[in-house]
Amino acid sequence: MNLLSKIKEVLVSNLGVLSLYFLSFCTFEGLKEFPDLVVFSFNLQMIIVYFYVLKFPDQLGLGHIFIAGIINDVVIGTPLGISSLSFLVLAFFTSYIRNATLRPKMTAEWITFIPALFFSNLVYFIVINNFSHLGFYYIELLQNSFFTFLFFPIFYFIFYNFQKNFLRNME
Amino acid sequence: MADSRDDFIISIRYALLKKSAKQKFSLFFLIIFSISIIALDKLSLPFVTSTRAVLNDFVYQVTFIASTPGKFVSYLSQKKTTHFNIVNRNEILKEEIETLKNNRHNALFLKTENATLKKALNLGSPNNWKEKPTIKARVIFDQESPYLKSLLLNKGRKDNIIKGMTVFSKSYLIGTVIESNYLTSRVLLITDLNSKIPVVIQETSINAILVGKGKKTDLSLEYLPDVYSVEPNKIIYTSGKDGFISPGLPVAKTYFNKKNEIQIKSLADPQQASIVHVTHGGFNR
Repeated sequence: MNLLSKIKEVLVSNLGVLSLYFLSFCTFEGLKEFPDLVVFSFNLQMIIVYFYVLKFPDQLGLGHIFIAGIINDVVIGTPLGISSLSFLVLAFFTSYIRNATLRPKMTAEWITFIPALFFSNLVYFIVINNFSHLGFYYIELLQNSFFTFLFFPIFYFIFYNFQKNFLRNME
Repeated sequence: MADSRDDFIISIRYALLKKSAKQKFSLFFLIIFSISIIALDKLSLPFVTSTRAVLNDFVYQVTFIASTPGKFVSYLSQKKTTHFNIVNRNEILKEEIETLKNNRHNALFLKTENATLKKALNLGSPNNWKEKPTIKARVIFDQESPYLKSLLLNKGRKDNIIKGMTVFSKSYLIGTVIESNYLTSRVLLITDLNSKIPVVIQETSINAILVGKGKKTDLSLEYLPDVYSVEPNKIIYTSGKDGFISPGLPVAKTYFNKKNEIQIKSLADPQQASIVHVTHGGFNR
């Protein structure tokens, strides 16, 4: 096996972790040139955490979720640990859903994403209100949460097919 | 009933404590760890502050590299816009130069007259703002999150940038330094919800606090007198009452929006800032 295919294998098998870290570091400055698109902004990190903890828990470690949250806090400028706690609450809720579900269906998983998002954001608000003096833009956050929920099936199919095809190729 | 409650508790315990083969930490441990970090950060202990400063410097450098493709898209888009608008812009600029020439003569006359009158009334106050040097810094990236509208600068305590300093772009105030690390610093923009600047309105002696609402074209004035209503096309200047920012710096302007309502917009465009001046309050244009 040559070096290139080895790199490819590492990249593909760690897609969830790598995208989570990349999104934590990235600021998406190019998007500012398209102000109309900003309305449709959504939280891809939440989708990745929810999807991987639900469908492929061995592909995304909880330690990685924690570190990605810390990086996210540093980049955004919020007190350290808030995003980590929010992501971990989402992971906890997702983990509970995974254990409680007997016959998983995409539509059911999409609907259960609503309470998972709600609790995750609730923890975020409570901690920000009590541990910092930051104000936030409720309308933007509401839009963000709505589009995160709305776009979930698209990323579900992308990640699911990607992981399935990759596992088939590996076999 | 009791069985379903047991199932619920077992599921919760399983979700919190169970570690799969590849997981090194349990969810419960990481949640407790996150809460501890939040508490330590809130307490602002010396070792936590210094650790955070090192972490900030490292993450900002990586973020700068990770944001390069996005910056390239911004650069291309701006180049395209500039290219297509250049002829129209030239005509407008020619007219503006003529107007500014006239205004400059008036301003010079008023400046001289003001100095003479101050001298006559013995009102001359020492102008400390101009004596302190300004520090030029480059914007590493700007963060437009729903929580904080801020800029990251490539200079920090190493270059004598400290918390509370004011930041100017193209001679307009854009914000204040709220976090200073060894190599980098964070600027809270005047458009942010948490920014509050004491100001005075043109041709009046009305004092107010200029507060951001998240957008460059929508700022607001708080603590205005009950009987006063804002008029359009008025410049809003800093009053200098906070002791950090020198008085008389133009920061915003009132205007009619598309719905014919009076709104306030920032004179500076923080999103376009690439090189900024960090000062101790004043900016000598």
